[in-house]
Amino acid sequence: MKQHPLCTDCEREVDVNGLPIPVGLKREWSAVETRRQFLGRSGKVLGWAALASLFGDAALRGRAIGADTKSPVTSPGRGNLGLPHFAPKAKRAIYLFMSGGPPQVDLLDYKPNLASQYNKDMPDSVRGNQQLTGMTAGQSRFPIAPSHWAFKQYGQTGTWVSDLLPYTAKMVDDLTIIKSTNTDAINHEPAIMFMNTGNMNPGKPCLGSWLAYGLGSMNDNLPTFIVLQTKTNPKENNQPVSSRLWSSGFLSSEYAGVGLRSGGDPVLYLADPDGIDREVRRRMLDAVEEINRQTQAEVGDPETNARIAQYEMAFRMQASVPELTDLSKEPQSTWDLYGPDAKQPGSFTYNCLLARRMAERGVRFTQIYKRGWDVHGDVVGTLPTLCAETDRASYALVTDLKRRGLLDDTLVVWAGEFGRTVYSQGGLSPENYGRDHHPRCFTTWMVGGGVKPGITYGETDDYSYNVVKDPVHARNFNATILACLGIDHNRLTYDFQGLDQRLTGPQPATVINGLLA
Amino acid sequence: MGAKRARVRRSAWVWIGCASVVLAALPFLFRLDGNAHGDWLQFLGRFHPTLLHLPIGLIVLVPVLEVAGARRPALREAADFVLRASLALALPTFALGYMLAYGAGDTGTTVSRHMWGAVVLCIGLMLCIVMRPLRVSREQTTAYPALLSASLLALIWTGHQGGSITHGSDYLTHYAPGPLHMLSGSKEAGDSFYAQHIHPVLDAKCVSCHGSGSAKADLRLDSYDDMMRGGKDGAVVVAGKPEASLLVARVTLQPGDPHFMPAEGRTPLTSEEISWIRAWIRAGATKSATSVPGVKFAREEAEPPPQPVGDYSSLMPEIQQMQHALGAKLVPMSAKASDGLILRTVDVSSSFGDAQLAQFQKFAPYIVEAELARTAITDASCDTLKTFKNLRALHLEGTAISGSNLGKLSSLSQLRYVNLSGTKVTAQSVEPLKKMSQLRHLYLFNTAAEPEGTAARSTP
Repeated sequence: MKQHPLCTDCEREVDVNGLPIPVGLKREWSAVETRRQFLGRSGKVLGWAALASLFGDAALRGRAIGADTKSPVTSPGRGNLGLPHFAPKAKRAIYLFMSGGPPQVDLLDYKPNLASQYNKDMPDSVRGNQQLTGMTAGQSRFPIAPSHWAFKQYGQTGTWVSDLLPYTAKMVDDLTIIKSTNTDAINHEPAIMFMNTGNMNPGKPCLGSWLAYGLGSMNDNLPTFIVLQTKTNPKENNQPVSSRLWSSGFLSSEYAGVGLRSGGDPVLYLADPDGIDREVRRRMLDAVEEINRQTQAEVGDPETNARIAQYEMAFRMQASVPELTDLSKEPQSTWDLYGPDAKQPGSFTYNCLLARRMAERGVRFTQIYKRGWDVHGDVVGTLPTLCAETDRASYALVTDLKRRGLLDDTLVVWAGEFGRTVYSQGGLSPENYGRDHHPRCFTTWMVGGGVKPGITYGETDDYSYNVVKDPVHARNFNATILACLGIDHNRLTYDFQGLDQRLTGPQPATVINGLLA
Repeated sequence: MGAKRARVRRSAWVWIGCASVVLAALPFLFRLDGNAHGDWLQFLGRFHPTLLHLPIGLIVLVPVLEVAGARRPALREAADFVLRASLALALPTFALGYMLAYGAGDTGTTVSRHMWGAVVLCIGLMLCIVMRPLRVSREQTTAYPALLSASLLALIWTGHQGGSITHGSDYLTHYAPGPLHMLSGSKEAGDSFYAQHIHPVLDAKCVSCHGSGSAKADLRLDSYDDMMRGGKDGAVVVAGKPEASLLVARVTLQPGDPHFMPAEGRTPLTSEEISWIRAWIRAGATKSATSVPGVKFAREEAEPPPQPVGDYSSLMPEIQQMQHALGAKLVPMSAKASDGLILRTVDVSSSFGDAQLAQFQKFAPYIVEAELARTAITDASCDTLKTFKNLRALHLEGTAISGSNLGKLSSLSQLRYVNLSGTKVTAQSVEPLKKMSQLRHLYLFNTAAEPEGTAARSTP
């Protein structure tokens, strides 16, 4: 039966005898309340009233504590969280995310006994009944591929480092190397989600958002949480990195990471168009804010406050971002330290330099993504490139922070979403091999405020396949990062879907005290 | 009647004699030689700690009943029963304890003291049972109280030895105040690598089974000489060869391995601790060497705990007002008010000068960190800063500070961190800061005072 036009919702095309209906008339129709709509709404009102009386005040006020119009727009919904829980060692953090899964056996997890086992089969006892990825599950054998590169001992700690990382080798006495990091997921998307948000499924806030929510901003003119993506190298096997990884999930979208572009304008449409000066822009924003406040007063959706805050942040970023990305005043010593790549916008080195500038300016959390570590094949061909792109830059960032006195209260984290297998994926030859995903152990490092310098934590077996000592699960890894920033991971929670949600999830997580200074 | 009692007594004496011989002979029949004997012995033996508190309670109850019986005779009558019950429980407890030691292969002075103490205690209890009727009949009044007192002393001593086996010999004295603590004395003195790093690890992780209390496998690790002597499997440390040293081998096995040490789920050694032991053995495993190649301890300067500042909560309205007027913020270091406040100026750095800083002087005692980087403050601000008596960290990088007034900061006893990077300071003007012993981090990057080379950090 054909519906009466007045009964349709405004989403549907209204058509009366095939005649073109003027848009204005359609709007008018949809604005008219029909008897049916009125009765339907009254029913809901009664339901809501009943629910409100059951829940008391809380149901009416929602969760937007402190969302009254007088509170500063920079922190709607944040309220008084009482954070940090204890005096922090680090005020800010920089996370160098090695997307794809760096092969620990070729970088920092030295296994001298493997050389004699070239092309031998992995013992079943080591592999156990672990599930493999679809990429190698069908392989008839799992031949051991010793690292192509030699390792040497460096520093006073005598840490073994691959020849691929000559710069990292120079700072081992400062690093906290974790050989026993392990995770639950074996494929990229769930694993990278898990490392960043503590959950394999998208929709949870990431580490940076939790920090922004929990600790707030240090600089009103810059975002609290900035994400820098590194331009991809087409020769590498780049796995996608999406904004889900810096999403604020169920937290206010104000706490989501702000991505700076890797080329051209760092933030699109930040500059005022011709003919619009800052005064006009200001007046426009004031008017928009007024409308938004009315909406907020009427509807009570905390997201409206987030939107107001974001407009204001964008306005302030018009001045602060050009200053942030202007490298012309950097002294020569910077270029000597970082090397020529630092002048290439979008390179990992350039991003590391930006991260240092952000640390100076009070950005709470900077996350740099470097893709391409997914070396399923041609490890010998691609790994030197990947290391060349990141090794010196990581060293330069740490050294730069250190000499400027920023490393005392900045935590730098270097990690991927998982490690790689010791056995070769695909053919193994004396010249080349491939490595598949491996979640059971991978090597990460931290340095700076809060962590113990010059130690190697955790151990893997002779095949870098299982953790044999001091495991650091991804959950505990995140709990430890929070601890460096003065946060008790059990107490930084947000009530959502009936659960006190937290970064480390509902399962118990522990801070790894052995890593803390 | 008298003859009958004499007969009972004679047979009782025979029983006691036999039982005492059996008890005393046990250690010679089943020598505690450090070898484990059968799991079922251990299985039963592990009920020893469960059972043992019952006879202890009963034995202690006996003198209580005897004394209380002076007022209420009914209680004194019960003492005989309690005494017999305590013996009835003490004997199986002893048996289980022996099974535990024999089954698990425990040896050592504490174990044998504990055992002999228990033998004495059991014999004492038997004698008490025999002598008590003589006291009741007033034939012999002194022997029973003397025997009971002796048994109680034996009980205390035996119990203490047992506690030392379980918890370690310094369990009671570990937290004792200074003078008392001297009594325990298991610490290795000296600043050698062994005394500082190897002995404490062994003491914490190994000595509860391989020490004076209990020396499983006849191995003791509580002193250097004992360790070098080795155990029943021979030497555990081969100087210069960590791979050949049993000490290293046993702690680096797979945790599931039956020979993995520490056994029975006790806390394993950390990889760091193992690396120290390895390096120490490689370097010759001497008792005296103070440093070992390959081991560097990251600045072990335990930072003294921060001085708590007063509670600033009552000043919050004033602080908010100030923040509103000046744009600079006073941010709590943490949820704990005594952790103090951070002065944060980054949002208004270009307009924040000496006059603005001076306005924060009224909050001076609560400010523990001043972030003044790239502000407009000058040397004159040192007069304000010197009143921030709890200041721990001072950021002055990129300011117009020339350093002429830095000497005024010398009175800041809590100051640990000063960053003067990118300022006009000279080697001479930072000299007063370098003299401050508690100032651990002084950053002079990009200044005329920067030390030669790349090391921007100078630790006075």
